[in-house]
Amino acid sequence: MGILAIMVLNKAGGLIYQRDFNEGLKKLSSNDYLVLAGTFHGVHAITSRVSPVPGSGGLEIMESEHFRMQCFQTLTGTKFLIFAQPHQPNIDVIVKRVYELYADYVMKNPFYQIEMPIRCEAFDRNLLAYIQPRQ
Amino acid sequence: MQRQDPLQSPFVPFSPNPSLQQGTPTATAPLKHSLTASQSSNLRYSSSRKSIYDRHLNRTQRSELSKSSFAFLFGEMVQYAQKRVSGIQDLEKKSATPSFVPTHVSPAGPRHLKSLSEAIHSLTPRRLNLHGYTIGQRLLELLLWRDGRSAKRETRILGILQFITTTLYRSIFNKPADALEKSRDNEDEYMLIDNDPMVSSYISIPKEMSQLNCAAFVAGIIEAVLDGCLFPSRVTAHSVPTEQFPGKTVFLIKFDESVLEREAVL
Amino acid sequence: MSFYFAIVGTKDNPLYEAEFGTSKQGGDGVARFREEQRPMNQFIVHSSLDIIEEVQWASSTMYMKCVDRFNNLFVSCFLTAGNIKFLLLHDTKADDAIRQFFTDVYELYAKTLMNPFYEIDMKVTSIVFDSRVRGAAKKYL
Repeated sequence: MGILAIMVLNKAGGLIYQRDFNEGLKKLSSNDYLVLAGTFHGVHAITSRVSPVPGSGGLEIMESEHFRMQCFQTLTGTKFLIFAQPHQPNIDVIVKRVYELYADYVMKNPFYQIEMPIRCEAFDRNLLAYIQPRQ
Repeated sequence: MQRQDPLQSPFVPFSPNPSLQQGTPTATAPLKHSLTASQSSNLRYSSSRKSIYDRHLNRTQRSELSKSSFAFLFGEMVQYAQKRVSGIQDLEKKSATPSFVPTHVSPAGPRHLKSLSEAIHSLTPRRLNLHGYTIGQRLLELLLWRDGRSAKRETRILGILQFITTTLYRSIFNKPADALEKSRDNEDEYMLIDNDPMVSSYISIPKEMSQLNCAAFVAGIIEAVLDGCLFPSRVTAHSVPTEQFPGKTVFLIKFDESVLEREAVL
Repeated sequence: MSFYFAIVGTKDNPLYEAEFGTSKQGGDGVARFREEQRPMNQFIVHSSLDIIEEVQWASSTMYMKCVDRFNNLFVSCFLTAGNIKFLLLHDTKADDAIRQFFTDVYELYAKTLMNPFYEIDMKVTSIVFDSRVRGAAKKYL
């Protein structure tokens, strides 16, 4: 799997989780990541209105020569962004699994405050265990 | 935890967790024949006229529970245990009674607020323990009833620990506990090891509360079973994360001296 | 033939008491203790608690047959896992019948415990419990 990075945004568009899985990526400052997340949230909302097809959701896939970004929005407004290599197969499966891990280790954790940055060690551990062997 | 002083003889009737019981036994008048008839019925019958006495005790023996449902409920229990203290006055009242003395509550000054949060966190395992305590009392009777005619009470330390490690654990978690060890340093300490306690499998403790282990709930169940069989003890849960099992928990079982004396006599 | 049945909790406090007479062989199920005998029943049963304390560590069974004698009365005991004692005061020996009676009452007690509003060492005041205990007594004793 060539997963490059994963980002999770909350309902209001704030960044609550960001993780790089590939060493060669350019590191942005944490402020830059927040700006990126906010920008994406806005773009997602605009695209859902601007779309010529009525009743469509927001931006889902963005592809370029160097990467492919996929966005999965849950029913509660939480967005999962997966950045991967351009010809990465099975991103849907990966997204579903990440969502499952989020539902388990973040939502069932009594010490996690909803919509706050994710600081759950179990979530980090299991995510790494899932992504890492397939890099 | 405050306890009533036991008499010197090892064969003294022991009462389980005193913080749960209120009042002392009162004298009763000799029985009158018309006792039950004169009591007004305060029983509210359900529409089908069935009471709990009609349910069979083995009905839920094989049933399983969704781990997610339990995880959500348990998460709420942990939050409830954390938020119980309503304010500083309540905490001071609690800390004035000898049974709840968190070690770092100071009596005066601006250090109050910092010690409040520390004190809350130090009380949480106690409350989780109490939650599990009532469950353990009931589970003990139920499990022994299900043995039927071959039910035996445990009278030796090793016997009761084996019962907990296999039968009790299997009935709750469908697998026996991983190891049972006797401490080399102290005669009265035993350790029950669980590599991955199911109750806290989805919980990550933040760094500032690293001494809290939510398996204190299971420790409460174990403590109730031990108290019920007349082995007074304290059971605490400690996390010892390893590479392979990051959630590994050790339940430290510390028996009272009366148990050791009795064990020596037997 | 009369029986006096008591459930004693962990702090030696009585949780439940009942008197029956036998229903077999033409008995009408009403206890016939002499008037001055009735308060003595509680004392006799209470004093046998000491003996039970000592004997319970020797045997690991729950049903201990006849633990004590007083004049012509016998006290039999059934000790549950949680150290709750079921005591029966009777004047005739009937081991098997008494054992079955105790087993039935044990089941009823376990069901009482399952009530989340019932804590250990609380008095059992349920009418259903009482009627079931009497039914068991009628069946076995």
